Amino acid sequence: MPPKEKVESSEQVLQAVILADSFDERFQPITLETARCLLPLCNVPLISYTFEFLAVAGVQEVFVFCCSHSDKVKAFVKKYEKSSNMKINTIVSQELMSVGDAMRELDAKQLIDTDFILVTGDVVSNMKLDQVLEEHRARRQADKSAIMTMVLKKASPQHRSRSVGDGSLFVLDQGSKECLHYQPVKAFKSTREDRRMTMNMEIFDKHPEIQLRNDLIDCQVDICSVEVPALFTENFDYQDIRADFVHGILTSDLLGKTIHFHEVSDVYAARVRSTQMYDAVSKDIISRWTFPMVPDSNLQVGDCYEYRRGLVYKEKSVVLSRTCVVEEKVVIGANTQIAERAVLSNCVIGKNCIIGANVKIDNAYIWDNVVIKDNCVVQQSIIANGAVLEQGVTISKGCLISFKVTVGANTTVPAYSRLTALAEGDEDDSDAELISDPAVVGATGRGRSFTEAEGSDDEDDEEDPKNKQVSMLAFDMSELKLAAKQQEDSASDFESEASDLEEDLISPEEELDREVAATLDRAFQDGHDVDIAALELNTLRMATFSNFKEMRKRVIPGVLKHIDPVAKAGSGKTAKEILSRWGPLVGKMIHDEEDQVDGAHVLHRVCATLYRDVAQAQKVFAPALRYFYDEDILEEDAILEWYHSEKSQQGTDIEKKLREVAAPMIQYLEQSDSEESDDEDDEEDEDSE
Amino acid sequence: MSKNNELVDDLVAKLKRRQLVGSSAVAHATLKLLIVVISKNNWSTCNQLLNIVKSVGQRLVQANPTELAVGNIVRRVLHVIREEFREAESSAATNKNQSEFHAAPLTTSSSMYNLLGETSSIPDDNVQYPSSLRSNIIQEIREIKDELENIYDSIKNQASLQIHSNEIIMTIGRSKTVEEFLKMAAVKRKFQVLVAESAPSYSGQDMAVELSKAGIETTVIPDSAVFAVMSRVNKVILGTHAVLANGGLVAISGTHMMAAAAKHHSIPVVVCTGLYKLSPLYPYDEDSFNVTFNPDSVLGFEEGDLIEKVTVTNPYYDYVSPDFVNLFITNQGGHPPSYLYRLIVENYDPNDHTFDL
Repeated sequence: MPPKEKVESSEQVLQAVILADSFDERFQPITLETARCLLPLCNVPLISYTFEFLAVAGVQEVFVFCCSHSDKVKAFVKKYEKSSNMKINTIVSQELMSVGDAMRELDAKQLIDTDFILVTGDVVSNMKLDQVLEEHRARRQADKSAIMTMVLKKASPQHRSRSVGDGSLFVLDQGSKECLHYQPVKAFKSTREDRRMTMNMEIFDKHPEIQLRNDLIDCQVDICSVEVPALFTENFDYQDIRADFVHGILTSDLLGKTIHFHEVSDVYAARVRSTQMYDAVSKDIISRWTFPMVPDSNLQVGDCYEYRRGLVYKEKSVVLSRTCVVEEKVVIGANTQIAERAVLSNCVIGKNCIIGANVKIDNAYIWDNVVIKDNCVVQQSIIANGAVLEQGVTISKGCLISFKVTVGANTTVPAYSRLTALAEGDEDDSDAELISDPAVVGATGRGRSFTEAEGSDDEDDEEDPKNKQVSMLAFDMSELKLAAKQQEDSASDFESEASDLEEDLISPEEELDREVAATLDRAFQDGHDVDIAALELNTLRMATFSNFKEMRKRVIPGVLKHIDPVAKAGSGKTAKEILSRWGPLVGKMIHDEEDQVDGAHVLHRVCATLYRDVAQAQKVFAPALRYFYDEDILEEDAILEWYHSEKSQQGTDIEKKLREVAAPMIQYLEQSDSEESDDEDDEEDEDSE
Repeated sequence: MSKNNELVDDLVAKLKRRQLVGSSAVAHATLKLLIVVISKNNWSTCNQLLNIVKSVGQRLVQANPTELAVGNIVRRVLHVIREEFREAESSAATNKNQSEFHAAPLTTSSSMYNLLGETSSIPDDNVQYPSSLRSNIIQEIREIKDELENIYDSIKNQASLQIHSNEIIMTIGRSKTVEEFLKMAAVKRKFQVLVAESAPSYSGQDMAVELSKAGIETTVIPDSAVFAVMSRVNKVILGTHAVLANGGLVAISGTHMMAAAAKHHSIPVVVCTGLYKLSPLYPYDEDSFNVTFNPDSVLGFEEGDLIEKVTVTNPYYDYVSPDFVNLFITNQGGHPPSYLYRLIVENYDPNDHTFDL
């Protein structure tokens, strides 16, 4: 072909690498039976969109890396290659566990000899890469250390095509188009590290103007140079291209490599990373944001979709009954029959499906050869090939119904269910008999409910389950907020630049809580001097216009929190050790007698609330009180005043018991004090009992 | 067919991906491909050749059904092939029959009424076609190619007949044909042009730039002002993406509004188009030949919260019904919409309206 030859002669063959495996389990149980990249998106296999995207970019040679279900991917690629003018090689390796492994494999095989495009097998984009490639090449010519260009797309924070739970924070220099720092952002930040970002201060020296951006969709389309796979080999612990590689390269002083970015705004680019994204991207395709990659451009050979008003796409062979209602945003595949009075809206229906009378389908994705009998209701779910819903079945939102599941008549499948017809145990074990669960799929059904634990790796268990949840189909953010509120612990923290989901309104008191806790944590971790910590707290007190009373309320628990009542001596965590190190800090918050009485009250209350167990609380309270007395932080009069005050005699059981613990000490104090009579003391004892 | 698969695939892919758009560009590409297909493939009978061309045509049309020029060119080529075969046949028949009696070779008439009965009676075998047949067909197709190349010349030569001094002309969008037409008129006459900017593509702005470069007094107006200024306009000159069998237009969005405004003010609407844009297909509903683009230019994708709640459609073309058009200026002269059926009969064979094999 004349145009192609011209391209080849003027420059090298443009190569691309597709990582067809997702290395996660978000689509399980559906992905137990087929590869992620072959899932139909608007009735076209996912990877076709990626191939098309690369073909438009002028890629001539593609390497597809696959691991799970490689035979299926291979067969598909072979078929696809015939109808495209790209050379597609499939590389199968069962040991691939991550992006890093694939890149190391790539380096080992020495397949790449020039700059290449690295994408995942689930990218949907109508972006033209010419400009990005040109920019990348120009940069490479000028500076060999520019090893990678990431393509980023701008979108508002709550945008539907942003993958919830896969956020990222970029520090960018708009002038040189350089990415300076990268940090992944989780939706639910359970640990302190998740909420913070740390950045090398040298960045400010080198770049007078930087941007911290959280409004970018990272669709993981990268232009990489040959060094990238080699760097993965050098750093064998790199797994993820973003969290490990980009972060690692940018924070490393030794490598001296730079990573650049290209920001696009008027094109579409997204990744089908999760079921939530599957929903969003499907809708974007139906709404034609991906034009010209829309159903009626018939990406797949043999398809013949027609566009109609109201964003309805229909194959010619579809049979619609006279009274069925096809509302907005519907795709219907070839040979599908829709019976009387069925109502379809916002849904995709595959090939050869039979939809019964009075069926209501909303926001659902129904793949090929599915039979839905009369009076069924399907909401916001995915129903895979060959599934059968008997009469009167209701599928609630967020369900994944895997291949060939049969749901018996009049069953209601609860929200977020995952059903599979695959026998429990090893997937290769064909002998295993499927034990259907009548409670889930009804008496005549076939299938069982799928539990997350099966086949999931240990690594993933570290991940906060909530972060997985948010990326699920039809997951309601309001539900997440409720759950988050309940779990919110008293530990507070700095807010990093990254936006926090549950962060809406923080009262000044909560703010102070967080600041004090953070200051103390820092002091404990870094082993600050008491004087320095006190100085910091004082500054904080003045900055927040608060008083010593407020500070005591926070500092005392902050210190006591670190005492481990069951710790052995010498571990540095016993009451004695902690107090002898940090007790003086409490002393800095106490000045006159009034303060001392208040301090005693706070100590009493804190010990009662911090420890559930009375024995533990006593173990902390007694030495603490003694220590403060010995060090003259709490003086005799103050302790007595506390003990006799009305306030200390009331309260919870634990508080009362703690007060008893103080009794011997009080006795000692009162004996040494000649002015107090024995009678009073006895009276007090009776009162407390 | 087998030999040129790659070329066909390439063009199909380009059409599908919309890397090749615009009536003129696709017409040229289609014709170029068909010349290769006809000259490289083996065929001996009329039906064989027709089937080869039809199968290629079918794939091209399916690749992007809204580029009607593709189908038009294929039909033109099919028409030429039929004509050539018929001619070759009749000359062969004359030679054979000359000794017996002098049969008058009347069947070369291109009238539709004759063709209807004729096609089936073409004997496929037993006829020795002259060896020059292949080159004759290629020659005829090259003539179509020449016609395509000279289309602007033959249209713009009629400019001085249509545009008079000190007229105010209104147009919309960017059309190469209209641009050439107006530039040619500007050589002899002085007139003013109002260009509607044609949102959301704003191609009208580019058009205005081109016209003003040629020294024409040009004003860009927003689409919303079209009706308001229409009363001052003397003539509306439009380009079009395609002309349908009934004389209706598939033209850039905004054209319908402009044509309706012109009709309201009884301003003549003149459409400049090459004949290759004339399609024998009939619009059974208004959307049938339309393309709906990415809504991005109407409502930005960044507006995340909003795009979930509203459905935005961004149709690229308008259907303009034939009663809004007063005159078509083609490369064969000026015609009223009612005359288009005749042009269709002359240029296409009725058997080729669909490419079913």
